[in-house]
Amino acid sequence: MIEIHNLTKSFDQKSKAVDRVSVTIKENTVFGLIGTNGAGKSTVLRMVSGVLKPDEGVVTVDNMPVYDNTEAKKRLFFIADEPYFFANTNARSMERYYSGIYENFNREEFYRYLESFHLDRNRKINTFSKGMKKQLALLLGICAHTKYILCDETFDGLDPVMRQGVKSIFAKEMEERGLTPVIASHNLRELEDICDHVGLLHKGGVLLSKDLEDMKCNIQKVQCVFSSVEDELKALSGLEILKKEQRGSLRTITVRSTREEAAARFAAVNTIFYEVLPLSLEEIFISETEVVGYDIKKLILG
Amino acid sequence: MISRNSFWASSLENHKRKIGVWIIAVLAQLLVYVGGVTVYLSRIRYWNQDGRWTPEQFRQQMVQAAQDALGFQPFLWLVVTALAVLIGGQGFAYLNNRRKVDLYHSVPVSRKRRFLVIYLNGIMIYVGATLVGLLAGIAIAAAQRAVSGAVLAVVGIAFAWNLMFFLVVYHLMILAVMLTGHDLLALGMFAVLALYEPAFYSCISSFRYYFFERTSSYFVPFTTRFSAFEDYTDHVYQIKYLGTPQEMGETVLPYLGKWLALALLLLAAAYLCYQKRSSEAAGKAIAFRKLKPVLKLAVVLEVSMIVGGIVQDSVYDGNNMLILAAMFLSAVICCGVMEVLYEFDLKCMLCHWVSSGIAVLCVLAVFSVFQFDLTGYDSYVPEAEQVESIVFEPNADYQSYVEEDSQHIEYIGSDEYLMEHMYLTAVQEVLTLAAKDQQISYEDMEDPRNVQVVYRLKSGRNVERCFYVDFADPDNEELLNRIVGSAEYQEGRYQVMTDQTPYEQAQKITYTTGSAAGILPREDVGRLLEALVTDMAQTDYSLFRHHLPCGLLQFEFEDYMSAEYPIYDTYTHVLDYLSEYNVCYPLLPEAEDVASITVTNYHNEVYEDSLETGDEMYYSDGEAEMMLWANQTYESVMVQANFYEKEQIAEILKHIYPSGLPANWCNQDEFDSNYSVDMVFEQDSDYPYDRTNYYYFNYNIFSGQAPDFVIEATALE
Repeated sequence: MIEIHNLTKSFDQKSKAVDRVSVTIKENTVFGLIGTNGAGKSTVLRMVSGVLKPDEGVVTVDNMPVYDNTEAKKRLFFIADEPYFFANTNARSMERYYSGIYENFNREEFYRYLESFHLDRNRKINTFSKGMKKQLALLLGICAHTKYILCDETFDGLDPVMRQGVKSIFAKEMEERGLTPVIASHNLRELEDICDHVGLLHKGGVLLSKDLEDMKCNIQKVQCVFSSVEDELKALSGLEILKKEQRGSLRTITVRSTREEAAARFAAVNTIFYEVLPLSLEEIFISETEVVGYDIKKLILG
Repeated sequence: MISRNSFWASSLENHKRKIGVWIIAVLAQLLVYVGGVTVYLSRIRYWNQDGRWTPEQFRQQMVQAAQDALGFQPFLWLVVTALAVLIGGQGFAYLNNRRKVDLYHSVPVSRKRRFLVIYLNGIMIYVGATLVGLLAGIAIAAAQRAVSGAVLAVVGIAFAWNLMFFLVVYHLMILAVMLTGHDLLALGMFAVLALYEPAFYSCISSFRYYFFERTSSYFVPFTTRFSAFEDYTDHVYQIKYLGTPQEMGETVLPYLGKWLALALLLLAAAYLCYQKRSSEAAGKAIAFRKLKPVLKLAVVLEVSMIVGGIVQDSVYDGNNMLILAAMFLSAVICCGVMEVLYEFDLKCMLCHWVSSGIAVLCVLAVFSVFQFDLTGYDSYVPEAEQVESIVFEPNADYQSYVEEDSQHIEYIGSDEYLMEHMYLTAVQEVLTLAAKDQQISYEDMEDPRNVQVVYRLKSGRNVERCFYVDFADPDNEELLNRIVGSAEYQEGRYQVMTDQTPYEQAQKITYTTGSAAGILPREDVGRLLEALVTDMAQTDYSLFRHHLPCGLLQFEFEDYMSAEYPIYDTYTHVLDYLSEYNVCYPLLPEAEDVASITVTNYHNEVYEDSLETGDEMYYSDGEAEMMLWANQTYESVMVQANFYEKEQIAEILKHIYPSGLPANWCNQDEFDSNYSVDMVFEQDSDYPYDRTNYYYFNYNIFSGQAPDFVIEATALE
């Protein structure tokens, strides 16, 4: 488990890049770190990987502080937003470098994946496209066989087929050896189908950090037409209403509740029509962040 | 088998990415050693084409050439410095690149291990490349029978010397990289660290000379304390020409110790900075925020002083405001440039104006310290009880010093010799003279003479000053007698009093009166030196001041080096010795020995009048005077007259003195500067004038003693 407690980092005296962030990343889950450009995602990941030293707070990896701690770092592989490869080198040389550092590096697996992804082991990396470089970095990270793999905007630029391929490998590695990927992205839609848990960063702080399943189960959108105002008041009393829209007599209400509870509430009063609808991850985020006063559309959906 | 995670595996992995540096280093060292030994040996073969040397001499020449090429090459410091900068800079350059930092700092390799690997690999590259060059050079020399045990010993000593120098420069470069976040600025920082101390000393010296009147020109210590560059360049020639490997080793050893200490200090500083340096420093100008104002202040101070020093050289009218303006302006510009460099943004020129303002104020404070002598430099005279001993050197008393090493005789600087040998305890006398100089301006002195002194304080500090002493002031005579007449002065000032070894090696000993010259036997030099020491022990200021020498004893060494001692009438032991060898000549010839005398009157009064009234005279300094002098056409006012009559010659002979004899102690107006007398001897004269001197001898006329017929004959028409 990676525990981030009260993490703060400033790069200048004027502003804090990361301000008192506390998040827990559980094992064997895919953790998504969402945020706009400049929200502090990369800074958090660089602190988690031990590249940066926090000004305040602490990061522990399996209860070990990570900064300048080789034992903790043995459990991590960090893929930066622009991964660095040695000058005039090829995939084989990079494998040799990493296999000298990570004791469990699986060379056979690496070359097998290279072939699957159609990456030439002898071709100079500086002739690779941006996407190919990200694929190579991901494969090196996966084959390093660390417990945690930290990906900073790594999925940006991957085509859908490759994304699906990487997702499959993640799923396989999670199942086989309990890999825990931590994926930072500025695009919510990229993480929707891969993450189990999402942390939303904004202006250096955490807006929310929740399991996606919990969020999906605990927020419901109900469309209905009430027979009377009294029925409406009766149905909604005691429910936490996150959002309420009205178009003519049709009301669209987002409430914090289980599906069963919401359905029971609306069935108990006199309605002309009601239906409990599923929410997309996007809608969940919009609802959750609007509650705390943010317009999420502007933040991460553009 | 090497473990995948061992230190050696890391080292090998690191070396893979240093192939380029390896190639450059090996090529450079091959060029230095193989190229050097090839050129040196070819030159010896070329010179011996005419068979000038015997086979044994030829072999010795070849061995010496191989030693010169593979040992102490004077310009090798440039190659070593370039390699140290390249290796140090390249090794730790990853710290300046965020992408590289992300990789290296995220992988499970400790910072300590990474530093050690890169650091040791850098040394391995230098040592490896140097050994390749040296072994190839030795092989080439050996193939030509130019290698001996001594050559190998010298090569080993030079290797240690260069390696230790490399370590100092290498560590300095690593420190520069640690302090900055950008490759180019790391080079700039290296230059600042390497040159700051020599430039600082140079600036301070230059300012002292310009602003203070009592700055000693002899004893100011120009040598830096921490600059390995100066140590190297100042001493490599001396070491190169030492005779034996043992002597070289003994000379080199203190520098190796000093450089090792310096290298360790720099390494500790570099490692501390490495540990403290954050990853986010990559790409920034300066790695440590708190260093910025300090560095700015240091650089601005030095740059403004350098600019001030340059302006000093072009200021002739004493307008110090020009220097102030130049320093102020350069400080302001330098502050702006530093801020631009810090932020890589032109718009930041006026950022951090508080620290810039402080830097400019410090520059103004430095100027004020010198302009208004806020440290009391010029007025400093120590208390007698503070002073242990004194070095006292009147410029009237010119001496040269020689020393003998295993192969050569060479000059020693006057300052170096006096510092080592003169320990004057007539402290109160010197301090009284120094105090009098504080009260009376030298313009008000009748015969002001410059004196250089070093006060050796009981605290262990040496303080150098110069001041004027009025030689014409009768009150000073007793004080000067106690100083100049003391055994400490004589033993410290006159080398022959304590160290006669070099004089015993003199190739030629001559006694001259300025015109007559006689050679003395080398084999009897011991008696001569004994007589000289006995007579000189009786001298004092009054003798020098009120008497003129009757002759001059000249000791000539190899390479036209010489030392001279004036002989006075009171030197009875020396004069007896000279009489034994019939060289105790009269100072002046008889009129019968002289064929003609030519008197030149320069008519300085014309020049002096021009200075006072001339329209072109708008400067009062020396250079303008020289310009005016040139404009007046020196020859046009010069009048010469020849005298052939024996009576006239006899009259002139009563009033002249040989210009070749030193008369520095006497009154500066002793001779009339208007006149110059040239004498031509009768060819058949018995007077033993120096016939190798093309029959041309020069004399001065005593002030106010020019005969009327001479004045008349050389008057302006």
